Amino acid sequence: MSPLPPETAAGRRHPLAVLILVPAGLVLLAALYVLAGSGFDFGYVIPRRLMKLAAMGIGGVAVALSSITFQTLAGNRILTPAVMGYEAVCLMTQALLVLALGTGSLALLGGQGTILITLVAMLAWSLLLDQTLFRRAAGDVWFLMLVGIVLTMVITTFTQFIQLRISPGEFAIFQGFAQVSFDRAEPLRLISSGLMLALVTGLLWRRVPVLDVLALGREQAISLGIDHPRELRLLLALVAVLVAISASLIGPTAFMGIFVANIARAIAPGPGHRLTLPLGAAVAVGLLLLAELIAGQIFDHRTTAGILVNLICGAWFLALILRRRSFA
Amino acid sequence: MITVTDLSRHHGPRSVLSGLSTAFPAGTLSAIIGPNGAGKSTLLMLMARLAAPSGGRITLGGQDITAIPPGDFARQVATLRQSPAIDLRLTVEDLVAFGRFPYSRSRPDAADRRAIDEAIGFLSLGPLRRALIDELSGGQRQMAFLAMTIAQTTPCLLLDEPLNNLDIHHAAGIMRALRALCEDQGRTVITVIHDINFAANSADHILALKHGRLHSSGSVDQVVTEANLQDLYGLDFRILPRPNGRICDYFTPKGEAG
Repeated sequence: MSPLPPETAAGRRHPLAVLILVPAGLVLLAALYVLAGSGFDFGYVIPRRLMKLAAMGIGGVAVALSSITFQTLAGNRILTPAVMGYEAVCLMTQALLVLALGTGSLALLGGQGTILITLVAMLAWSLLLDQTLFRRAAGDVWFLMLVGIVLTMVITTFTQFIQLRISPGEFAIFQGFAQVSFDRAEPLRLISSGLMLALVTGLLWRRVPVLDVLALGREQAISLGIDHPRELRLLLALVAVLVAISASLIGPTAFMGIFVANIARAIAPGPGHRLTLPLGAAVAVGLLLLAELIAGQIFDHRTTAGILVNLICGAWFLALILRRRSFA
Repeated sequence: MITVTDLSRHHGPRSVLSGLSTAFPAGTLSAIIGPNGAGKSTLLMLMARLAAPSGGRITLGGQDITAIPPGDFARQVATLRQSPAIDLRLTVEDLVAFGRFPYSRSRPDAADRRAIDEAIGFLSLGPLRRALIDELSGGQRQMAFLAMTIAQTTPCLLLDEPLNNLDIHHAAGIMRALRALCEDQGRTVITVIHDINFAANSADHILALKHGRLHSSGSVDQVVTEANLQDLYGLDFRILPRPNGRICDYFTPKGEAG
């Protein structure tokens, strides 16, 4: 055995620095977002911003947890629910509802109905992926990604076809769902999403040791006593609920999940999900806050946080694919 | 210990394994040999429950393996396939600790710590304990994965070509470790192996497969004969006895031998 090269011994970063700096930075960003240019208006501006902050918090955490969990299940660093068509299916369901119910959908989609309907659609999509793609093409990242992107294109085109059949007024409603926005934050919605998120996070947290073993790959996980089909089904169901929460509260986030999951894995002092899941959540919320701050304070609302997030994360996705082409 | 009865596995119309019945004696090192496509890895995967058979059954200590809950099975049988190219910043110690997952799902206790230390010491991985897996050489990596499998402290180990892509130094080290597992710890080791000389010199029991069927099985003396190996591989073999074993020479076609 050759002795250990010196740089390997220090392979682990300073865990404390990351675990203190990231939450501290997050608190700072949140304070800046709530207070900057608010004129300390506690009557309207600050309560409104607090509600948006809650939406970013819930949505960001849901995006991070779903993406990191999904990447572990798919066994790679590139596939996320957004790439595998979850959000496209979500938008198609909403478009179909607008078409079927017309203005009646306004009441349904505007209120508590959205999350329930997207939840059903997401669970169905998870089940379908589990039964088909994950069984047959597991491990073949590039094939899965191709299928995911083609599915997304097909479903998006179908959604556009539906959009052409609906009236301009209904189209405006639909457009509201198709973009990242924090304006959907109303107390009742925040409470229901928050409760659901708390429940799913609790369930997911109990499976952290299982996720760590699943990261070793299917065969090693089975050899270590994991009931693989059962865990895959259960965790994909949790992912579906998380995507439903984020998609109905803040809209489709496209490549944000890939960015968040990879940054979390890069800055975490170790590979365990006990660290990557909370760090990912912090990075996601921080990213949304930063984008909203830049859109509001620098661009004076002439661009949206959603566009900025997609711009940053889309570029990252491209860079990641080009860099990892050889060994993902 | 592991008994296979009329086992078969099909991929669509193609039969990978058919009508295989055999038994692997407990407490010994068994080698599964045969040409490419003989169904060696398939047999190992079926015994490890990584794939489901199309027909037949496999029993472990008299019990059908499909009737054993996954958690219990992982405390009786540990499997190592060719070490996966995982992209995780794990240290050797972290990886070996996963071997204790069947016992303590998250936090290792004192007994787990002991098993981890023993497995690391057993393969002399002490100096690499804190090295990251993705910075190791192929041989060191394979050793680290084997240490995880050993830390699972199961009576039975299933290994799929553990010597693949290793230099002779690491290959010999792994074979010595497998012998010690049988002799000193009384474990049953079943390994798929390509190098006929390693099989002939290290195994107690050999199972030869060809075209998905049982070709021959038995002790090394019974299986490693010139006629039998010629029939198995379709190559001319000369078996050269040595004081501590034998060497199978398949490099010189008949007639050229001086």
